[in-house]
Amino acid sequence: MDVDVAIIGLGPAGLQAAIHAARKKVKVVVLGKSESSALNKAEIENYFGIVSAKGEDLLRIGREQAQRFGASLVEEDVIKLAKEEDVFKIVTETDREVRAKAVILAMGIRRVKLNVPGEKEFLGRGVSYCASCDGGFFRDRAVAVIGEESEAAESAILLTEYASQVYWVHRELKVSPQMLEKASGTKVEMVPGDPARILGEKSVTGLDLKDGRHLDVQGVFVALGAKGSMELALELGILPDPSGKITVDENCRTEMEMVYACGDVTGSPWQLARAVGQGAVAGDNAAKAVRQQEKS
Amino acid sequence: MDELEQIRERKRQEIAASSGADWPSEAVNVNDGNINDFVKRYDVVLIDCWAPWCGPCRMMGPVIDALAKEMQGKVAFGKLNTDENQKTAMRYTIEAIPTLLVFKDGELVDRWVGARPKEDLSRRLQAML
Repeated sequence: MDVDVAIIGLGPAGLQAAIHAARKKVKVVVLGKSESSALNKAEIENYFGIVSAKGEDLLRIGREQAQRFGASLVEEDVIKLAKEEDVFKIVTETDREVRAKAVILAMGIRRVKLNVPGEKEFLGRGVSYCASCDGGFFRDRAVAVIGEESEAAESAILLTEYASQVYWVHRELKVSPQMLEKASGTKVEMVPGDPARILGEKSVTGLDLKDGRHLDVQGVFVALGAKGSMELALELGILPDPSGKITVDENCRTEMEMVYACGDVTGSPWQLARAVGQGAVAGDNAAKAVRQQEKS
Repeated sequence: MDELEQIRERKRQEIAASSGADWPSEAVNVNDGNINDFVKRYDVVLIDCWAPWCGPCRMMGPVIDALAKEMQGKVAFGKLNTDENQKTAMRYTIEAIPTLLVFKDGELVDRWVGARPKEDLSRRLQAML
């Protein structure tokens, strides 16, 4: 699929960016999952003109609006983002490829913590949130990956290159058949279940599940949700600050040409009104930039 | 090195450290071979354990460089590539990067795991001075 503007994130910032970009008559695709948006489970009562509304209703209406203006929606997680000469190449969890002239990062902020006993105590001593950073420390050791979505699948597959045993602990899986198939062709062992606590002394020695089962592991990789804006920015070579915030100018431009960011990932307050406002600015400017590029 | 020479060397290092003349103004690349000397040379030392493929480590790079300038004379900063210096990584049981190891008077006194803002690091280090 070739488009002018690819927007990553199906929350309020991404959808507003899609509405504004599509109204400028450029070809727009929005990728992601609305259910991953923080708005999906929120009740809204501090947004201009709306006394009270359910976040999921606003998202549904926003998706319909974006489509009405001509944007295409692809409800899949993005697992790769790269720049190849003047084009951005995006790969989704179903191996779909999208090529875009401009990209808008609007994935919000990813929830990374599992919130089980032992998680905080053993951070850096067996507990990790980044398989690509820390996988190498677990050569020939047994590890568990916890998560239901694309980040967990990617992490589990990657860790098979290092670990002697990879357990993928999950509740209800929300990954594409393609990713599941990739994982099933490896030594990943599927473990349906709910983590209860991470055990250890100096470092991790095991993982207890709520149903009483125990896994002997030396590493626990928490990999919730999908790859976020911060990780995708890093793949492009854009450097967020250490809190994960992506710096943008008043036009929502990042440090890389034709890459924009909007919403929670650019800073606080993490509010619907700010996300929508920035979405409009990013969508407008990305569309304008594509038009200018065509002229030059 | 005989005992007298060792005392002289220690004194030389103490004088250099107290005058601030020897304090690095940028993060120094340390390795398995010289990390022991480095952490003993200054009162407070922070070692940034990192690897080139680690995104959050890259995010920390500019923060460490800026703090090395700002805190010159108070804290010495080192960078240890864990991929090339696995002996040290194993010695300090590094299992996640970035990990920041903090030494005071040559002894490991704290370790902070994960990327964190400059202000947070600066506040934590000030508290150790």
